[in-house]
Amino acid sequence: MTTARLGSVRDVDWRVALRRYGWNTGVWLLLIALLVFYASTIPSFGSFQIASIAKNSLPLVFLAIAQAVIVIAGGIDLAVGSMLILSNAVAAQLMDEQAFGITLMVAVLVILMAAALNGAVGWVISVSKVPDIVVTLATLFIIAGLALLVLPSPGGGTSDGFRALFTGSATGTGTNFWPALVMLFVPMLGAAWWMKHSRTGLSLYATGSDPTAAYLSGVNTARAKIVSYAVGGAFAAMGGLASLAITGSGESRFATASNFTLKSVAAIVLGGVALTGGIGSVVGAAAAGIVLFVLSPVLSAMGVDPNTAQVIQGALIVLVMMIAGIVQLRRERAA
Amino acid sequence: MSDKPLLQADGIAKRFGTVVALRSANLQVEPGEIHALLGANGAGKSTLVKALSGVHRPDAGSIRVNGELFDVRNPRIAAEAGLATVFQDPALIPDLTVEENLRLTNLPSEVVHDWLERMDLADVDFEAQIRDLPLPTLRLLDLARALARDPSLLMLDEITAALTADQAEHVFAVMEDRKSRGKSVLFITHRLGEVLRMCDRATVLRDGQDVEVCVPGEVGEAGLVQAMLGEVAKATPDESSALASLDEAPVALETIELRSGDEVRGVSFSLRAGEVLGVAALEDQGQDRLFELLSGDRRADAGEIILADGEALDARSPYDAVRKGVVLVPSDRLHALLPKRPIRENLTTPLYNKITKWFSLAGDEKQRVDSAIDRLSIDTRAGKQAGRLSGGNQQKVVVGRWLASGFRVLLCFDPTRGIDVGTKQQIYHLLRELADGGAAVLLYTSELAEIPLVCDRVLVLYDGEIVDEQPAVNATEQALLTAAHGISEEVA
Amino acid sequence: MSLESREEMVPDISQPRWTIWLSDHPLVVLGSVLVVLVLVTGVIEPNYLSVSGLRNTVLLAAPLGIMAGAQTILMLTGGIDLSVGMIATAAAYVAANQSPNGALIAITLGLLVGVAAGTVNGIGVGVFQVNPLIMTLAMSSILIGLFTALSFTVLQGSTTVNDFISTLGGGSFLGNRIPYNALVWTGVSLLIVYGLRYTGFGRLLYALGDNPVATRLAGVRSWQVLIVAYALAGLLAALAGILLAGRTGAVDLQLAVNFLLPSVAAAVIGGTSIFGGIGTYSGTVLGALILGVLATMLTFLNAGQAIQQIVYGSIVLGLAWLYARVTGVS
Repeated sequence: MTTARLGSVRDVDWRVALRRYGWNTGVWLLLIALLVFYASTIPSFGSFQIASIAKNSLPLVFLAIAQAVIVIAGGIDLAVGSMLILSNAVAAQLMDEQAFGITLMVAVLVILMAAALNGAVGWVISVSKVPDIVVTLATLFIIAGLALLVLPSPGGGTSDGFRALFTGSATGTGTNFWPALVMLFVPMLGAAWWMKHSRTGLSLYATGSDPTAAYLSGVNTARAKIVSYAVGGAFAAMGGLASLAITGSGESRFATASNFTLKSVAAIVLGGVALTGGIGSVVGAAAAGIVLFVLSPVLSAMGVDPNTAQVIQGALIVLVMMIAGIVQLRRERAA
Repeated sequence: MSDKPLLQADGIAKRFGTVVALRSANLQVEPGEIHALLGANGAGKSTLVKALSGVHRPDAGSIRVNGELFDVRNPRIAAEAGLATVFQDPALIPDLTVEENLRLTNLPSEVVHDWLERMDLADVDFEAQIRDLPLPTLRLLDLARALARDPSLLMLDEITAALTADQAEHVFAVMEDRKSRGKSVLFITHRLGEVLRMCDRATVLRDGQDVEVCVPGEVGEAGLVQAMLGEVAKATPDESSALASLDEAPVALETIELRSGDEVRGVSFSLRAGEVLGVAALEDQGQDRLFELLSGDRRADAGEIILADGEALDARSPYDAVRKGVVLVPSDRLHALLPKRPIRENLTTPLYNKITKWFSLAGDEKQRVDSAIDRLSIDTRAGKQAGRLSGGNQQKVVVGRWLASGFRVLLCFDPTRGIDVGTKQQIYHLLRELADGGAAVLLYTSELAEIPLVCDRVLVLYDGEIVDEQPAVNATEQALLTAAHGISEEVA
Repeated sequence: MSLESREEMVPDISQPRWTIWLSDHPLVVLGSVLVVLVLVTGVIEPNYLSVSGLRNTVLLAAPLGIMAGAQTILMLTGGIDLSVGMIATAAAYVAANQSPNGALIAITLGLLVGVAAGTVNGIGVGVFQVNPLIMTLAMSSILIGLFTALSFTVLQGSTTVNDFISTLGGGSFLGNRIPYNALVWTGVSLLIVYGLRYTGFGRLLYALGDNPVATRLAGVRSWQVLIVAYALAGLLAALAGILLAGRTGAVDLQLAVNFLLPSVAAAVIGGTSIFGGIGTYSGTVLGALILGVLATMLTFLNAGQAIQQIVYGSIVLGLAWLYARVTGVS
C-alpha cells in the first residue's frame, strides 16, 4: 500500500479550516452586513433599534439553540415551539402580580420543568425506537394542548423586574440594550462551550455523528439522546420566558407553536447544523436565528413589503441548501 | 502460565435475525500470551470479539475474566475490566478532532501522544478532524488509545489489513512489548505469516464454532489453512474443453487503462462471453472502486470501458450500465435488497426503470418472478418481507433480480460472503450455468480457495493494478495469496 | 459509496408470532379502532349513529384524507411535504379567483398551481438533494409570502368559489345522505390504491423509500421518480384545498393551515413509515376517518381544543409505538 499517506496532516490547508469555521463565520458576517446595511438605510439607527433587535430576536435564538443541540445529537424536535408556549403559559400564570424574586424562582422552576418533560420525550424516543420526528409530532400536539389547558386565553403577566431582565425596561420597550445583549450572548456562549468542552457535550456530537463509533467508544448513546432533549427543552423554556418578558403577558396559540418550530428548523439549517447530526454549532444556529429575524426589518427598510420579504426568506433558505447540497456532492465525488 | 486463564469464554452464541453468527464458541487466553483468532470469512471472529468487548450481548454462553464470571454489558464495562479492543472500523467520531475524541473517552492526550511517537506518528495534529485523517493513521490512533488504558487483554481485529509493512512492524513491536509485561493480545488476521511469526497459540473458528486450538509453529501454515477451511465446497470444476473454446468467444466487456484516483491505476482486461473471470485481491486493493466504475456508480478519471460490438459504456449512473446489460450483485445485501418489500417486488424493480414502464405492471411479471424463484430455488416462506429471509436466500433474491430482467455482463462482488456452504455451491453452480448460457461473469471473491472451482481465468489485483493473470485451474490458494501480496510483501 | 460490508449492529428482536401476523394485517387493527371509536361516539351521542351523523364525519375527513394521500405518497419515498397546507390554500385562492370563468377553468388552474409548486419541491429534493423537510418548509414560506401579497392585489376579493365548487366540497346527494366530496375522495382513493399496487411507478416509490442505494444500483433514476411524486403530492394537496374552499364557502390564508400536521398524522396512524418503504393508502384512509370520528366525538364531549390536541397527540404516539413494537422497524 505504497499510496497510503502517512500521518502528517499539518499540511491540511485553509480548505479544512474553511470547512470547519467557514459556515459559522459566513453567517455572522451576513448578520453584520445586514445590520450595517440596516443602519445605513434607516434615518436614525441608535440604541433603540439595537435594543429592539436584540430583545425581539431572543425567543427565536433560544429556540434555534434548543433545536441545534437536539439535531447535533442526531434527533429533531418538532415540539420545541409547543414547549415555548407551554413555558410561556405556565410562567404567565404563576408570575402574574408577583414580586421580582418570586418571578425569578418561577423562571428557574419553569426551565427545570421543561427540561424534565423534554428529557422524558427523549426517553420515550430511545425506548420506543419510534423515529424522533413522529414522537415529537405527537408531543407537538400534546404539549400545545397542555399549554392551552394552563392558559385558555391570552393573559397572565409578570413582574416589571423580570421584563427588564430580558428587555432592559419595565415596559418592554426602551433604549437600554445591555440586558438583552447579555441574555443573548451569555446563554449562547455557555451552551457553545458546554457542547464542545464538556464530555457530555462531546458525547452529543459523537452520538449524532456516528452512533456506532460513539457506542464503541463507551458513550451511553441513550443517555446522550435524553440529555440533548432535556437541554433543548430548557432552552425552549428560555424562549417562552423571553417572549413573556417582551409582551408582558402570556399566550398559547397552536399556530405560534408550529410557526416557531418551523422557524427553528430553518434557523439551524441556515446556521450550518446538518440535519443528519454531528455537524454544526449552536453559535451558528443562534446567528442564523437573528438573521431570520433581522431580515424582515431590513427588507422593509429597503422598501420591500413584508410579504415579498417572506418569499425572499424562503428562497434564501432553498438557495443555501442547494449550494450546500452541491458542495457536499462534489466533495463526495472528489473523495 | 497461571492456573486461571485471563479470559475464558464458554459456549458463546449469537444470531442476527435469521443469520447465525456464532453457534457455540469457546476461547481461552492465558496471561502473557499472544493468541491468534483465525477463521474464514463469516466464521464469526468479529462477532466473538464484539461479544467480548460488550458490543453484542451473547444469546448464550459465559465470559470469565481472571476466573470470575463477568457480564460485559457495554464497551465501557469491558474497558474498565481491562479488555481493550481495536475494531475493524475505527471507533473514532468522524466529526470531532483527535483531541476531542480523546476527551470523549477520558484519556490524557500526553499518554496517547507517547504511544503515537513510538509508532512514528508523532506528527499527527490533535486538532485535525478524524474525517481528514487517512485510515492507517486512524487504526494506529485507535491502537494508541487502547494502549493508553494499559489493558490486560488487547484485542486487535484485522488491524494490519490497511497498514503498510513498516506500520505493521510497529504493531508487532507493541504486541511483543505487551507480552514482555505479562499482558495478553488477541490477534485477528488473515495473514498467516503474521500468525506464524507472532502468535503463541491459535484458536480456529469455523461456521461459528471453535474447531481447533493449536500452536501455529507446530502445525504450520498448511495445518492452519486445513483447520480454517475444513471441507472445501466442492463444485465440479469445468472441463478444460470449455477453456479452449473461450479464446474464440466474443469479448463482452473490455477495459482500457481504467483509472480512478489512487484506487484504480490503469486496469486493462477483457471479459469474454461465456466466461467466469475471477478477481483475486487482498482487502482494499482497488477492487471496490473497480466494480463501482464498471457498474456505473462512479465515473472513471481516465480510460474506457468497451462493450460487445465496440460500444463504449460511458455510464453516468447505474441506469446507463443496467440499460446496456451490465449489472451488479454487491457483496453487502444492505446495498441491494429492499428488506421491507416482498420477494416479488425485489425481483422486479429493474423492470420499471424507464418512464414508459411506469404506468402499469409488466404483463409477464409473474412468469419472470416464478422462473427466477424456480431457477434459484428461493425459499419463499418468509416472502412478505425480504429482510426476513436467511442470508443465503437474500443473496439469491439479489441475483434473481437480474435473472428476471436480463443482462449481458454480471458483476459479482464477493457474493458469497457470510453465506452457508450449501447456498454457496448453488450460487457458484448458477454462475457457471449462466456463463455456459453465454453470459459474461466477473467475480471478485475473498475466498481464494474457491476461485479454481468456478472461474475460467483469474486476475490478481494489487494496489490498483493487475499484477498477474492465470488460468483458474492452476490458481491454488497458495499461488493466489503469493501473487495477491504483491512482491514487496514480506512473509516470515 | 463503498461496497464494503459492515456487520449488523442492531440486536435481533425475536418476534412473537402474533406481531408478525399483525404487521402483515395492520388494517385489522385500524379497522377495529375505527369501529370502536364510532360505537363509543354513538354511546356518547346516540344521534351520531345515523346517516347524517356519519355523513358529517366523512365530510370532515375527505379533504384531510386527500391531503394525507399526498403525504402517504411522499412518506413512502422517505420524504414528507410540509407545504401541503399552503399549496391547498394557494390552489383555493386561484380557484376562487377564476370562479367567474366557470368551474372547469377554476379547478384546472387551481390544480395546476399545485402541480407547479410540487414540481419545484421535487426538483429541489430529487435533483439538488435538499432535505425534503427543508425544501417543503421553504416552499410553504414562499407561498405564504406570495399569496399574502397577491391577496392584496390580483386576488383581492377572490374569497368565494362558484356554486359548482361549493356543492362539490360541501353538498350531498341521494337525499342529503352522501357528500359529493366523499365521491371525489373515493375516486382519488381508488386511483392511489391502484397506482401504488399495480403500476411500475408505485413499485419504485416503495423501492426508493425502502433502500435508495439499492434502488439506484438497480438502475432506477431516483430524481425522475421524486419529481413526479412531489408533483402528484402537489396535485392532491391542491384538490383538497379546492374541496375545502367549497365546504367552508370562503377562502382566506388560514384555510388549510390546520390540516398540515393532521395530514402527516393520518398517514402515520395508517401505518405508513416516516422512513419510507412501508405503508398503504387504505391505511391512511382509515387514519383520516379515525381522526374525523375523534374530532366529532370530542366535540360531543364538549372537550376543548386543549383536550382534543392531547388526545390527538397521544393516539399518534400510541399507534406509532405499537407499530414499532410489532414490526421491529419503523
